[in-house]
Amino acid sequence: MGLIKEPKDVDFFVDPRLLSKTEKEAISKYIRDYKKKMIKGKRRKKKQAA
Amino acid sequence: MNKRGVKYLDFEVDKLTKSIENVATGDSFVTEISAFKQSDTKFTTKSSGWLFDWKKELALSDREVYKLTIQNNPGILQGVVSFTLENDHVYMPLIESAPFNRGKNKVYLGVPGNLVAFGCRLSYQKGFGGFLSFHAKTKLIPHYHKTLGALPFSGQLMIIGPLQSEKLVSHYFKS
Repeated sequence: MGLIKEPKDVDFFVDPRLLSKTEKEAISKYIRDYKKKMIKGKRRKKKQAA
Repeated sequence: MNKRGVKYLDFEVDKLTKSIENVATGDSFVTEISAFKQSDTKFTTKSSGWLFDWKKELALSDREVYKLTIQNNPGILQGVVSFTLENDHVYMPLIESAPFNRGKNKVYLGVPGNLVAFGCRLSYQKGFGGFLSFHAKTKLIPHYHKTLGALPFSGQLMIIGPLQSEKLVSHYFKS
């Protein structure tokens, strides 16, 4: 992985606002699901290795 | 802990390797990230070309604000970023490169990458597993995806997950 460079003609900005309640809930669900998937994946690998 | 009760990380300065590149010479420089303080607000005024009010940002009780400088050159801010700590991840409400690092004649490339990588590291250190989110300007969504590996989540909301977060952190921070 080389230096992470933005294109010369592009300036990076974010939209300066906070997360809404709905967005917070949606992200939390995404994170929970992601973690569950990871745990399942690890268990499956363990079973296959056994 | 600072006066407002925000818990900053317990380090003074965090070094990043191979971090920013001088556009003219191609030389790369080691950078440092440290807490943005009240005394730094005199460098980020609108009259000197900064777009956001970092003094106001620093005064908000839920924000952690950090500055990026080149090693051995602490008086010149290359960029500033703020974060809020959500229940399960880090959110980045504001990020800005210094005026001389914006536009077609920017001096250094790589400032946003440094600042976002730091946010990912903060996420790990706070026990959030590397999750970081932010609202992208619509036209920049493809760039954030391409350069940082951020995934479009919903509308302008983007998220960086553990896999990409780990790549960014291991690239910039040598323990």
